[in-house]
Amino acid sequence: MTSRRNFLKRSALTTAGTMLIPNFLKALEATAPGSFAGEKILVVIQLSGGNDGLNTIIPYQDDLYYSYRPQLAIPKEKVLKASDLLGFNPALEKLNVLYDKGYLTVINNVGYPNPDRSHFRSMDIWQSASDASEYLSTGWIGRYLDASCAGCNTAHQAIEVDDTLGLALKGTSIKGMAVRNPARLYKAMHNPFIQQLNDNNKASQINDPSLHYLYKTLAETVSSADYIYDRSKISPVAATYPANEFAGRLRTVASLINAGVETKVYYVSLSGFDTHVRQKTQHERLLSTYAESVYAFIDDLERSNRFKDVLIMTFSEFGRRVSQNASGGTDHGTANNLFVMGRNLKKKGFLNGSPDLRKLDDGDLIYQTDFRSIYATLLNKWLAADDTRILSQKFPLLDFI
Amino acid sequence: MDQKFRHLYNRAAFGVYPGMSVDDTAKNFAGMLAAAAGQKTISIVNNYREEMALAGAKEDPERRKALKDQVKQDQVLLNTTWIGQMEDRSLVLREKMTLFWHDHFACRVRSPYLAQQQNNTLRTHALGSFSDLLMAVSKDAAMLQFLNNQQNKKDSPNENFARELMELFTLGRAQYSEDDIRNAARAFTGWAFNPQTGEFVFRQRAHDDGVKTFRGKTGNFSGEDIIAMILEDRKTAHFIALSLWQFFADSAAADEEVVNDLAKSFYDSGYNISLLLGKMFAGTAFNNAQCMGNRIKSPVELIVGAMVHTGGKFNNPANLLFLQRAMGQVLFQPPNVGGWPRDKAWIDSSSLAFRMSLPAVLLQNSETEFETKDDGDVNNVTNSFDNARRISFSVDWQKLGSIFMKSNAADCLAAIAEHLMARPVSATNMKIVQERVGKSKEDQEFVRNAFIAFMSLPEYQLS
Repeated sequence: MTSRRNFLKRSALTTAGTMLIPNFLKALEATAPGSFAGEKILVVIQLSGGNDGLNTIIPYQDDLYYSYRPQLAIPKEKVLKASDLLGFNPALEKLNVLYDKGYLTVINNVGYPNPDRSHFRSMDIWQSASDASEYLSTGWIGRYLDASCAGCNTAHQAIEVDDTLGLALKGTSIKGMAVRNPARLYKAMHNPFIQQLNDNNKASQINDPSLHYLYKTLAETVSSADYIYDRSKISPVAATYPANEFAGRLRTVASLINAGVETKVYYVSLSGFDTHVRQKTQHERLLSTYAESVYAFIDDLERSNRFKDVLIMTFSEFGRRVSQNASGGTDHGTANNLFVMGRNLKKKGFLNGSPDLRKLDDGDLIYQTDFRSIYATLLNKWLAADDTRILSQKFPLLDFI
Repeated sequence: MDQKFRHLYNRAAFGVYPGMSVDDTAKNFAGMLAAAAGQKTISIVNNYREEMALAGAKEDPERRKALKDQVKQDQVLLNTTWIGQMEDRSLVLREKMTLFWHDHFACRVRSPYLAQQQNNTLRTHALGSFSDLLMAVSKDAAMLQFLNNQQNKKDSPNENFARELMELFTLGRAQYSEDDIRNAARAFTGWAFNPQTGEFVFRQRAHDDGVKTFRGKTGNFSGEDIIAMILEDRKTAHFIALSLWQFFADSAAADEEVVNDLAKSFYDSGYNISLLLGKMFAGTAFNNAQCMGNRIKSPVELIVGAMVHTGGKFNNPANLLFLQRAMGQVLFQPPNVGGWPRDKAWIDSSSLAFRMSLPAVLLQNSETEFETKDDGDVNNVTNSFDNARRISFSVDWQKLGSIFMKSNAADCLAAIAEHLMARPVSATNMKIVQERVGKSKEDQEFVRNAFIAFMSLPEYQLS
């Protein structure tokens, strides 16, 4: 308990606005329910498969875009125009609304040196925040937990809404937790056999490191399952969500945030973006699923007055090639746009210029901002963590927050 | 049962087979080695030409789809055939070593033919000479493709293979300079494979035969010369010995003296793998009680272990793919060239909960609500196995009943615990198991419930 409280306290105290509250009050508050209100929360949304950024945010004034994609380009008149140069895919109507409210920053031309066009490798690089030439077995959020929450004995500081835990949330000594459905997890952990084992085996009394780790993980899982389920029961859902799995997962995140669950990072994925063949229909369906679900999620958080504490970052492992292919789709590319959403963004709209289609690297966009600069900014400015330690390198911080 | 015997089978195989007797000395390491002298090559994928035709079939969507489906079927069949072969008692040592090398030389290619070819190369040399193995893997089409050596040409060298060869396959990190990598890469220019046959070819015209300087020596080195120089360095023997020690004995603590000793005899024997294994398995460090049951099973070890322990068979191969995905280890799909992270990396709250619930699902043929992650790759065949959650696994309970049923419940539980568990079960947990099993109405049900209970203990995750 103590160590978790320290973790929360440390991050809370570095957050502007809470600086005036004396330490002892903060410490008292940390023991009361609802004390998590005011804590900064990061929600990461992963678009798996390689989202076609050029058909997401459209450079509708660029003739080259239309010549590279004779069938696939979004006709100029259909683009939801946002700036003089860029606009949204018509399926992103709700994202356009968020943009108009000043809740959205699109960072163009995000990538990394020596890009890898394989899904699993590029996702590995994004999740571990490694160089293209190195292999890490921990993820960037996992290392954030290692750095900020040493000695924590709860599993839910970072939650992936899924049944399996991805690399991003695995640290060296601390791992996040995968929860797709709090009620189901609770039921699974309340199996009498598991309860008996947990009650009668205390990790602190086990010497063997592997067995100790197994019983420690079991204890943390049981206690987090109880905690999350108890909290999630009390949380009202105010907004109306679309009826799809992804929206359901965001709804779970909102219910946990609104219930004051002490989780700093949430991770949710939407898959299906590997659009090699007949891209148009599939891509638009995915984009509208994404935009409508995120819109409902933000609406939900606004109703509970928590949106001010939440930042949403959306990425994909790579963009697609500039030219369409022969099957009405696009193949694996490199640099891409990335979205950040929040209530009090310092830079709104579009960061970095429109993608430069005149200067390509073998038919691919050239990145301008290393994605780890964005991670560093989120870690440093939003989560008040030591970005250099977590990323093992110093990346320039950006000023969108 | 003799603890050392069980320990050997937990590590050099996937666990003890039901009804095995410790008195059978033919089943010690020498016996396992003798049994593994022969090998069973996997040859279920035989249509490399057709796989290659896929790229050229763009104009004919129907043919393209048929070829693609064939490739997917082959990927599944290759995966599940290997799992089945791992369980085979007579092949088990060679298959366990093939699994070790599959992780050591981690490689991922789309072509099931090339994946199978590499798997057979690993199998052939799994217990032989590491020098032969290293040369064979370096000339293997799948590895040449995976590490971009097809693109490694005189005018535009690609360093990927040269780098991983030294960092991950032989010397280990920081034993060479960036210049060494550049020069080694030049020596491997022209190492390629014939895309029609999948066979190694040396392309003289793409090869840089100029003078190279590698780790202090200068000459007109070929790729073979570089490999020979790497093998001349005792650090390679140490790196492999340490890696084997960590995989088979103890991942946490490496007793430097023990590993140095193993490395020395490995080097002096000319990299004889069987000799190293024999020495390790017979050593006091390996047979120390602390070394027993202290290692977390990988998902594949857990799956094959459950098959070995119960003698059970999966009736639906799709279940095997589902289970591998659910626990995060799909054969032929390592996360990167570094292989799979080990031990504690397998366990988080959800994977532990899944592993503990698995025996009940397996042994009662029920369905799990668990869903696997879609990695987003439309061409990854294993993404489509999430609907294989209803497990169909056959166990001969009559046979297990006849082996494990004793005159009283306590003896029966003790026999089953001894069979399944890599470390003694505490009195507390024995009592919890007993309570759970005590309600069983008849003998076979008692044995089945006992298997489920023991296999659901966190201790069963250990080997």
